Amino acid sequence: MIAARGLALLLCALPCTTACRETSEAKAAQLREVEATRKQELARRIALADANPTRRAPLAMWIMPPELKEISGLALKPDGRVLTHGDEVGIISEVDPKSGFILKRFVLDGEPHGDFEGITIAGTDVYLLESNGKLFKFREGADGAHVPFTEYDTRLGKECEFESVAFEPDSSRLLMACKRVATKSLKDQLVIYRVQLPISNSARPTMLAVPMDVVVGANLWKHFHPSDMAIDPTTGNYVLIASEEKALAVITPDGTVVRSEPLPAHHNQAEGVAVTKDSILIVSDEATQKPAAITLYRWRP
Amino acid sequence: MPVLKSLIDIVTMGSEKPMRRLLGYYGILAIVVLLAAYLWPGALRRIAFKGVAGVSEGPTVLTDALNAIPTAAIGFGPGGLGDVAITTILILLGTVALMLPVTWVYMSARPIPGHNQQIAQTLVILPVVVAGIVYIIQNSLALAFSLAGVMAAVRFRTTLRDTRDVVYIFLSIVVGFAAGVQSLAVGALISLFFNLVILITWRYDYGRNVLTPTASSQWAGPLHTLASPTGELEIPDRDLILSLTPEKADALADRFGRVRDALGKKKKKPRYDSVLSITTYHVPEVQNHVDKVLDKMAKRWTLDEIVSNTGRPSEIYYLIRLKKSVPRDDLLTAIHQGSDGMIDTVNLETGEPVEDKPGVKA
Repeated sequence: MIAARGLALLLCALPCTTACRETSEAKAAQLREVEATRKQELARRIALADANPTRRAPLAMWIMPPELKEISGLALKPDGRVLTHGDEVGIISEVDPKSGFILKRFVLDGEPHGDFEGITIAGTDVYLLESNGKLFKFREGADGAHVPFTEYDTRLGKECEFESVAFEPDSSRLLMACKRVATKSLKDQLVIYRVQLPISNSARPTMLAVPMDVVVGANLWKHFHPSDMAIDPTTGNYVLIASEEKALAVITPDGTVVRSEPLPAHHNQAEGVAVTKDSILIVSDEATQKPAAITLYRWRP
Repeated sequence: MPVLKSLIDIVTMGSEKPMRRLLGYYGILAIVVLLAAYLWPGALRRIAFKGVAGVSEGPTVLTDALNAIPTAAIGFGPGGLGDVAITTILILLGTVALMLPVTWVYMSARPIPGHNQQIAQTLVILPVVVAGIVYIIQNSLALAFSLAGVMAAVRFRTTLRDTRDVVYIFLSIVVGFAAGVQSLAVGALISLFFNLVILITWRYDYGRNVLTPTASSQWAGPLHTLASPTGELEIPDRDLILSLTPEKADALADRFGRVRDALGKKKKKPRYDSVLSITTYHVPEVQNHVDKVLDKMAKRWTLDEIVSNTGRPSEIYYLIRLKKSVPRDDLLTAIHQGSDGMIDTVNLETGEPVEDKPGVKA
């Protein structure tokens, strides 16, 4: 009798529960609606910026959640989204800069701690850079995944403090710009190391050195300390930003300075940069007096 | 609770075995959780796994700093009032659901019968409070320091009778922590494993000194003697034997001895045939009143014992032989009527002495 009552209760409950189910479709529809609205607004602002090329107003600015308050590098994906990371833990987030969504997060196996400063994508591999020149290679993971990684030591840590890494597809090299150079003879140079992929212990990284006074140009800065760099997909030039000087410089692969100028707007601590194929400059800012954010500008090579 | 009991009865097919009933409860809980996971997957992720696998939260809508519309107004994303309320309620309900079986085990699986009701209630309440505290503090160092300051101001100390009670308190704190960091899945596993270990160690009397006799072997002999003057009768209820502490058995033996003395010698008509027991906070007044009633209604009577208690009513025992013309209920009514509400309970136990039948065991 008891069992029969239990069975009857279960049978009655089943249709009710099926009817009440919270579907993910409803949430996805809401997300799509917000995404469409935001992309529409971004298109309007881009049109406004194109109509007035001297105007350097941001196209969008997205406030980062607390776990990304120390947001550092940015790596542009082929689909226009960016991978980013915090400063201390190997947790990678994928952000859609045009809609302002964090789409997923994944973590390196064992959640390694370090002073992570830059990230870049080379084909199917992702490289995360530590300030001491160590590189963590891994594949992009699914949402919530723990991904295995391989650690490489470029042995450049004694020569340089790094904050930036970028992948140059034409030469299949990783570019690592020095923030602070330890070698005295290179003190007045902007030094960019080039590490050939695949990484091997036998191949010594090559170096591009650009005189600092050329980089600074007519600006009032005394130095230029790169906090991140990216490759302009249109021209192949190197785009570097400096958090301390709140500056931006564009250099050709052979070391010619195209231009150097202040960042488009006031950035307290610009730690990451990316340039999209459709000419949008993305700058990430670590939280200081203001919350951490990524800001979009119209990019004019 | 009757509904829950019925459900457990259904799952365990009416079994009274503690292990089966415990597993039955967890089975029901698992079904409820699976149902919740099916209906509200987002809510379950927020309370069960967030603290463990905090990297996955699905899409998050970032606040647009150039637009006046705040993210919260969009209706989803962390921090909404509704979300916080639902998460809090689920955390607290989950905590209670996980601690209920722990309290059952605490009350049941004890080598020494009797438990502390305060601890049983604390085991349910404490983790709820701990979960609330941890949920509020989360990653805030400032709040954590504030809590430490408050706790330093509110000092509380208590001495627990049984060292095992401390373990239960620790477990309640652990479950509270797990709930507070939104990792109830971990709390559930800890609760289940803890209960199973406690039940198994209790069932097999784990850790008993081999030189120490078991409770049943220790008291079987004395209780045989206690059961009948000849020592030939057995008490069939094994649970009764196991439930007696040495102190309780001594007290019982003493009581039986005095009653036997009062009833008189064997094969002689007993002087008294009933025991009147009264509980009250006003012993002198009640005793005076009852003496007068017994003078009128009892053939003979004597005051057997007064047990004075603190914090609960004292007990007065009389041995009496009622007049044949006085029914039992009339005596109880008369005692109640004149007491002005000073009597808490009154009870009259009547009986005839047991006649031993050779060759027959009671």
